Amino acid sequence: MTDAPGWLDRFVDSLPERGWFQFLSRYVVVPYWAWRDPKPKLPGGPRPAAQPGENLQCMMNLIMPLKDPSPVGRAKAALAIAQNVDAIFDGLDNVGTVHTARFLLLDGNLCMISVYDGDFSNYIRDFIVTIGSVFDEIMDLVVGGEELKPTAQNVDKFIAWVHAHDLFQAPDFPTDLFTLQDEAKGVGPGGPPHELRSLPRALILQLHANPNISLGGGYRAYPGFSAAQVRAKFGVGW
Amino acid sequence: MTAAFAPSTFDPATLQGNILRGYRLGRVRYLILEVGGQAEDRARARRFLAAAAEGGSAEVPAITRESSGKWAGGARPDTCFNIGLTAEGLRALGVADQHLATFPAEFTDGMTKRAMKLGDFDDSASAHWPAPFDQPRRVHIIASVYADDEGRIDEVQRKIADAFTVLGHRDGRNLAEDKVFFGYRDSISQPRFAEVQDPERSQDSEPVDPLGTVLLGFPNRFEGVLFSVPSPDVLGRCGSFNAFRILAQDAAGFEDYLDAAATRLLAHPLVDQVLEPGGEARIGRGLDRFGALREIVAAQMCGRWRNGVPYETSADAQLPDPPEAAVSLTNFDYSRTSACPAGSHLRRCNPRGGPIVQRIANYTRRLVRRGMSYGPDFDPATRDRSERGLLGNFIGANLGAQFEAVMCDWLNLGLQDPDVTGSNDPLIGANRVETSWFDLRLRDGGSIRLREIPRFVTTRGGAYTFLPSLPAIRYLAGLTG
Repeated sequence: MTDAPGWLDRFVDSLPERGWFQFLSRYVVVPYWAWRDPKPKLPGGPRPAAQPGENLQCMMNLIMPLKDPSPVGRAKAALAIAQNVDAIFDGLDNVGTVHTARFLLLDGNLCMISVYDGDFSNYIRDFIVTIGSVFDEIMDLVVGGEELKPTAQNVDKFIAWVHAHDLFQAPDFPTDLFTLQDEAKGVGPGGPPHELRSLPRALILQLHANPNISLGGGYRAYPGFSAAQVRAKFGVGW
Repeated sequence: MTAAFAPSTFDPATLQGNILRGYRLGRVRYLILEVGGQAEDRARARRFLAAAAEGGSAEVPAITRESSGKWAGGARPDTCFNIGLTAEGLRALGVADQHLATFPAEFTDGMTKRAMKLGDFDDSASAHWPAPFDQPRRVHIIASVYADDEGRIDEVQRKIADAFTVLGHRDGRNLAEDKVFFGYRDSISQPRFAEVQDPERSQDSEPVDPLGTVLLGFPNRFEGVLFSVPSPDVLGRCGSFNAFRILAQDAAGFEDYLDAAATRLLAHPLVDQVLEPGGEARIGRGLDRFGALREIVAAQMCGRWRNGVPYETSADAQLPDPPEAAVSLTNFDYSRTSACPAGSHLRRCNPRGGPIVQRIANYTRRLVRRGMSYGPDFDPATRDRSERGLLGNFIGANLGAQFEAVMCDWLNLGLQDPDVTGSNDPLIGANRVETSWFDLRLRDGGSIRLREIPRFVTTRGGAYTFLPSLPAIRYLAGLTG
């Protein structure tokens, strides 16, 4: 058996570049597979790890769709953040586990991108405990936000909402996607094995369910240190 | 939503009796129950619950209620019976999906899906749990029966078995002198509530905890924050959540580790900073230097000496002068110059008012702990390796904000203090020999890093349960379908 691909392999490999196939896949093939083998939308944020150091410098990519994505609506969101920016930064300071955080307006979305230590739920809960009233103002502006107000009395619901709006982080080892998809469907580790060649399809179907994702857990220039460890090391108190 | 946060009134007679305080009976049996799948099974289970909530009958034991102050006159029951239901159990009794969806995600997920947060991996993974916890979806109710006399427990079990399928049971008992198999005196510090009279705890200096620490519908330690009360209100209000855990304790492995650590310390150039020459007598009667070093390692790992004396207030002596009776076991606090290591078990579980990274979190993650031991007695001289451990209940109003928050960020990450971040709790953490460490504190403020700490506590089963109020049990009994 030769390593050189045969004519059929070459033909199949060339399909994604062919216009008629792109049309077919967009309107027929992907919708058909999404119907035949639906993948649940996967939740956002990093997945907890066994090794303590892996649970530091975690990334949150919170994408909040604005009720009014027009320039006026986006200006309202910019104003809401600007008016509360001191309170937000004080809040992050008091939570104690946040390295960096920033807000972006991206198309019709208000985004909060942050790097934090430890458990996601604890981070969000402590944040709401500290500055829930500020987040109530933001909730006025985003789709579905009014049901979460006041956030201080809907903490669990708010955590679940943030979790759902935090970008899914594709696994750093591509084949781990199979495990995550199985878990989301309630299939245990004893389920049937997956063929490696079905990985592209699994990824495409996942992108059908999660149009926006984080490609992996992100790059860290140094091993995981907590914000408090960095502050302690530089003598700025924690 | 407004109705869900109308302030609750505290009526002890509507609560199950095992939430606000323990029974102080010598034995417990946990019965792991399934509600049968047929309509008649559900009807039988509901009839049982209806009778149990109404004070019991000849065939049905009564649910034991809270009765603040009433037991002082000697009318304490000799048998106590309580129940907790899993999300699957609520479903099996007919709670609608729309109502189940109002329970917190960690409860409806169930304990096995929260494994990574709880350190339930490697040998602790639920895939290794023995029956009946190898089939978590069948675990519907965990009933607890407490008594001093095993015969009374058998009697209650017979009645329960008429209404439910008993998937399995676990028996626990109090060890002598309130100790656990690792040799420590346990159950010293618990949350206390202004509404509950407990003369034995009246001198404690820790702040009194608001009822919302354990009961849904009451304010908790978080200012302005209320945990959601699941719907319908009658089901959720005044309920509580419990993390039931079967935790195997490797008592022999722990004693072996103390030997290894003491051997290493004896050869360490800084050993005199661990124990001043001639200081052995204050550590324990008849101890040599090796034996005293073992006890110091054990005390620093826990935060208490094995007799219960806090390391914080008596760092140089398990047998303080004046004697230990004069030392308060509960009244102390931590500071930036604490003698008690930040990595110790006590400071990780309850940092009290001491400095922590999450500045707003002091006292917010308090849990009620009720545990009894299972398995044969342990003799440190022979160190047999039979399975033994703790049947633990970790009770709070919000599993995520209390139990899980403590388990992941404090016990298994050490996020609360940069000096211990990246390490696990030395006693009960998910340690791996290759990476584990604990900084032993020296008398001059320096430290020696102990490594190769194995995992001493392995999870062998468990479930998240909801502890319903008496009106909630009546509501469940009245469901149809």
